[in-house]
Parts: sequence; C-alpha cells; structure tokens
Amino acid sequence: MEDLTEMLKGTLEGCVLEIIGSEETYGYAITRQLNELGFADVIEGTVYTILLRLEKNGLVQVTKRPSGVGPPRKFYTLNDAGRQELAKFWAKWQYVSSRIDRLKEGGR
Amino acid sequence: MNFWEKVTGNDLRREWKAFEARAEALPDGYRAAWGQIIAHLFPYGDFTGRNLMPILDAALGLLEVAATDGQSIHEVFGDDIGGFCTALAGGEGARTYRDRWREQLNRNVARKLSRLGG
Repeated sequence: MEDLTEMLKGTLEGCVLEIIGSEETYGYAITRQLNELGFADVIEGTVYTILLRLEKNGLVQVTKRPSGVGPPRKFYTLNDAGRQELAKFWAKWQYVSSRIDRLKEGGR
Repeated sequence: MNFWEKVTGNDLRREWKAFEARAEALPDGYRAAWGQIIAHLFPYGDFTGRNLMPILDAALGLLEVAATDGQSIHEVFGDDIGGFCTALAGGEGARTYRDRWREQLNRNVARKLSRLGG
C-alpha cells in the first residue's frame, strides 16, 4: 500500500524495535523486512535515523562487525531498556487500535 | 585534541581531508548525494562546524555501506535528502543558529518586559 508515510510515522520506531527484538540485525536487513511486510515506502535513510535515535536513547546495543566487502556494519540488539520500550509500544498500540476499531464499528 | 589544534582548527581540517578521501571512493551518484548532504547540514553547524563532524561521519558511513550493498541513492533517501538531514541533525541534537536567535530574542523580550514592571 502506498502513501502510508504519515500514518506510519509514530509507529515505525516500534516496528524497528520489534524486528531488532527478534534477532540481531542491521539497517539494510530491517528496511528489507519492512518492505517485504508491505511497507514499500520505507527507505533505508528513515530506518537509519530511527536506529541512531534508538542508539542515542540507550535502547539498543551496537556491535560493529567487519563485512566481507566494504566498511564494517553496525549490528543491533535490544537491551533491557529496549525490551521495556517495546512492551510499552505494544501496550500503546493495543490501546490506539482497539479505540479506532471501536470508532469504526460505530460503538461508543 | 590539544589546545593548539582546537584554536587553529587543525584537527577539523584533518577530519575534512579524511571525509573527502572517503567521499572520493564513493560511486558517482553517491558523491553527488554527499555534496547535497553537506549543503543541507551546513545550517545546523555551530561557529566552527565541530558539532557537525559526528553527524557527517554517520551520514558518510551510511553512504559507504549502502554503496557496498549496491543500493541506488533513491532506495536510500527517496527524493528527500533534506528531510533525511533534518532527521539526522535532530536525532543528534544539533542546534541551529535559528534556535540560538530564538532564545536570544526570548531573553531580550523577557528582560524588557520585566523592566516595565508588569
């Protein structure tokens, strides 16, 4: 689906946390995973700025690994603060999506 | 970094040289993007531009890795290099000269108002 950028803005950080939470990974792989999930508009630059923010907020652990070709890559894993943040994200998401569903169904 | 280097900016010049050498090694389209990134980040610089160095280093690192992956510039930045730079600078907490002007203006107004004895 196209034109999701505005809607995704607030949730992309949570999505990236979830992806890092399931296995150690790096920027390009995260972007590809989001693309395959159906978020075709997500570009690496966006994911990269999110990763820098997560790093700055102390939610991830970063390991630099040399790659076969080119410069070393940064690999990310969640630390305890990151796992807490991820749990908070899902709680917030659950709240928002349940309210919006209710609104759509015309319930009060 | 010693005091002398800090005053003369010698260390900055050396870092710039290193950046330029790394940028030279990038593929064509990437070099152009690097130029645009510098232009977009420039307003976020402080007096010496020292605060930009880690931000530029991060951006150059992304370019290098993306080039190795064989991604196109469009895949990496979409058509919004400016937006990427804003996010990058914001994420790194770079303050612009406009922030400082704003603060200065607010301070001056507050002082004048208090002098009026409101």
